[in-house]
Amino acid sequence: MAFSQDSFQIKGSVMNARTLQPIEGANIIGKGIFSISSVTGAFTINNVVKDSCSFIISHIGYVSKTVTVIKKQKMETLLVYLNESSTTLEEIEVLGKSERRVVKETPIVSHTVSKEFLNKNRENSLMQTLSKIPGVSTINIGSGQSKPVIRGLGFNRVSVVQNGIKHEAQQWGNDHGLEIDQYGIENIQIIKGPASLVYGSDAIAGVVDIQPNKIPFHNALNGEVNVLGETNNDLLGVSAAIETRKEKWFYRGRLTYRDYGDYKVPTERINYENYIFELHNNNLRNTAGKEANASFSIGYVSDHITSETFFSNVNAKNGFFANAHGLEVRTSNIDYDSSNRDIDLPFHRVNHFKITNNTSVTTGKHTLHFDLGFQNNHREEHSEPVPHGYMPKPSNSKEREFNKNTYSLNVKDKFKPNTQHDFVTGINVEFQDNNIGGWGFLIPEYNRFTIGAFAYDQFEISSDLHFLVGIRYDYGLVDTESYYDWFPSTINNSDGSTSYVHLQRAQNKTLNFGNISASTGLSYIRKKTTYKLNIGKSFRMPLANELASDGVNYHMYRYEKGNLNLDPEESYQLDIGIDHTTKQVSVGISPFVNFFKNYIYLNPTSNYYETLQIYEYTQAKVFRFGGEIRASTTLFKNLQLDASAEYVFSRQTSGAKKDFTLPFSPPLSGLFSANYQFKKMLFFDKPQFIADYRITAAQNEIVPPEEKTEGYQVLNISLLTEMDLFKNNLPVEMRVKLNNVFNTKYFDHTSFYRLIDVPEAGRNLSISLTIPFNK
Amino acid sequence: MRFTPKYYFFILSILLIASCSSDDNVDKDEEKPTISVNYNEGFPQGCVLLVKGETYNFRAKVTDNKALASYSIDIHNNFDHHTHDDQVTECDLEDIKQAINPLIFIENYSIEDNLTSYEINTPITIPSDIDAGDYHCAYSVTDQTGWQARTSIDIKIIE
Repeated sequence: MAFSQDSFQIKGSVMNARTLQPIEGANIIGKGIFSISSVTGAFTINNVVKDSCSFIISHIGYVSKTVTVIKKQKMETLLVYLNESSTTLEEIEVLGKSERRVVKETPIVSHTVSKEFLNKNRENSLMQTLSKIPGVSTINIGSGQSKPVIRGLGFNRVSVVQNGIKHEAQQWGNDHGLEIDQYGIENIQIIKGPASLVYGSDAIAGVVDIQPNKIPFHNALNGEVNVLGETNNDLLGVSAAIETRKEKWFYRGRLTYRDYGDYKVPTERINYENYIFELHNNNLRNTAGKEANASFSIGYVSDHITSETFFSNVNAKNGFFANAHGLEVRTSNIDYDSSNRDIDLPFHRVNHFKITNNTSVTTGKHTLHFDLGFQNNHREEHSEPVPHGYMPKPSNSKEREFNKNTYSLNVKDKFKPNTQHDFVTGINVEFQDNNIGGWGFLIPEYNRFTIGAFAYDQFEISSDLHFLVGIRYDYGLVDTESYYDWFPSTINNSDGSTSYVHLQRAQNKTLNFGNISASTGLSYIRKKTTYKLNIGKSFRMPLANELASDGVNYHMYRYEKGNLNLDPEESYQLDIGIDHTTKQVSVGISPFVNFFKNYIYLNPTSNYYETLQIYEYTQAKVFRFGGEIRASTTLFKNLQLDASAEYVFSRQTSGAKKDFTLPFSPPLSGLFSANYQFKKMLFFDKPQFIADYRITAAQNEIVPPEEKTEGYQVLNISLLTEMDLFKNNLPVEMRVKLNNVFNTKYFDHTSFYRLIDVPEAGRNLSISLTIPFNK
Repeated sequence: MRFTPKYYFFILSILLIASCSSDDNVDKDEEKPTISVNYNEGFPQGCVLLVKGETYNFRAKVTDNKALASYSIDIHNNFDHHTHDDQVTECDLEDIKQAINPLIFIENYSIEDNLTSYEINTPITIPSDIDAGDYHCAYSVTDQTGWQARTSIDIKIIE
């Protein structure tokens, strides 16, 4: 960053001359000069020694421009406008399509999330950030943990894929959150529909596909430090990353640490049934947490081979609300209120270790992709030992332990025999080994092996009309292990005698499943409008707990009973996506109709087992429909308005809860956003003011044991700006965000704490600084 | 605006979403049953003292809008003060102590004939050989839909 008398720095921006949109990835090449424009079109050339220099700015699809710059006392930002090269357009279509074009041509209805979106909207967890996307919501457990919900379905019905490998944790669990570092993610593709064809079992409601980051440019050395502070839960977060590439080898690394206290809710007391919990300073007692993540990757890139091996470890400890764990009300001698930062019982600790390798090899018309993965998820749940039923007081606090290893292999061949066809075949193999510990029993130990093979063809009927058809077959094997209580229960025999028996909670069983999935769709691009139509059949293998659990969940006051006769869950869905985008206006609509042949869920029965209500895994036919609409427009150049709405209707059409909805059904919700771009003020560059207003209707469609939830309105505002604090470097990005401006007390129907009448977090001011650096 | 097929498609899709909104004429049971010991004969009342060897009639009123299904009675110790009851009264608890041979009473009963109101009336004898001290008595009741109501009462067992 030396700035001597003899050298000077050139800063500039590359824009599309017609749309005035920034052009990313333009090459700036001159004698001894090399730079590439960023997402915002900006580029910097450092240490120019001569008094003048010239360079060529080029980008595929644009006419190249040669620019000469003469050294001046005060260098102004150089603006370069490139004209689209219409004459070579046809050629470009064949050589390389823009990502946007590829997304348009695929009949699968998907939503792409950029790094810019993630930075602008970052919340406490990745899924909370993504919940701004219409059709995506979350099931939250406190302030730091959440799991994805797509169009009202979550848990194991949404696949989260990172670097091509399905994230495998304890996603069936109520109080489990996604163990993925939300920093350093550049690109996420969200599929809001059945996607078993490519992603296999579990992708029945959708996929959150976190894609590998872009390979750094030649001889690049980039990095960033992000600092985040929040007032509601006194959070302090730091994340630092660096990436570098020489010629063919590249390296990346990231460290993230977050530490937060109890979060505050806008109420002084919580009324749950007949209990009243007084809150100290509005703190939701014992919801503090901390998270430490590290990742490192090493990659190799050449003309024909790209390979990256990625190591990551996510470690978190989170406290659970002390007054009620699940539904169970607890009193304790622990002095929870002495500090809002300590994590006392009950809490959980989770560590997720992951190694993945992604390799692609291009040979002629074939591109082979290999994804290899190993994951270990280790989660422990601790609570104060208490006798329950016939169980005496356990000797320690370790209530549950899950230790799961998952080995994955995906092989995919993309074959492009001519310009019309994209023929993809692949296999996915996965092995899971789940072990349990602790004094509480919920799910058995199991091994699970799945193998699936698929083939699909995307056929270009004409340049604007694409057709996709694909089929897949899966075979799966689940091997559950028996489990006996560690304490005896009292059994009154029919002859009047009494026995004391270590009850069997799970059986030794081997079950196998086979399933066919398929998908077909059309995409039609007509001028500024894209139409998509897709019909798919997806499936989900029953989980070990759905099949074989047979135990008491004291915290939920229920006895959970599996069912060995469950079939693989099958779902049929019709998706439509229409998108119309012009310079001023963009509107989109994505309705769907969905039918489950056998939706598996935990049904509360009217019977008791040892005074606990029996909940039984049952399957029922379910009919669903819904969708999202969105519209955005730009007024007076600087003001962008966005509106979106999401709705899902679900109804069980057979079984014990016929005519009821499904558990955790999200209510009708709309989001209105205004984004105003100010002129440069003082040293604030590109200041933007954003206001998000969410209006959510009441949820009156419930299923036992849920409560109806009233509607709410919440306002969030944020201010984004860039600052040129360091010479010769990229600008520092600052974000100031105020969530829940009016400290509104409201309930989220899909929050884990909703059942005990805990409102959502109160007002929160967060300040985030991102300091980038590069060589 | 010309009415090209594009716009029909839009309108059709919006209609598809808007039209099928809830057809709530289906008669769903959305009410929980109720449970109460807050009447003269209700038993046990909060902080009541039960004497070992005696037999007591445990009585609670349960109601439902449609049909009651089952109820359960659970008596367990609160020697460790792990929780408190949901009644208004607050009882004096003894010091925390270890359980040696505590009373564990765990029984389920069904309610026949689709009744909408019922009085639980179950005689329970307090054994003589169990630990005296603070206990909880928890009632719960379900209806045939699977809704549940619970209540919990602090009691004390004495010699």
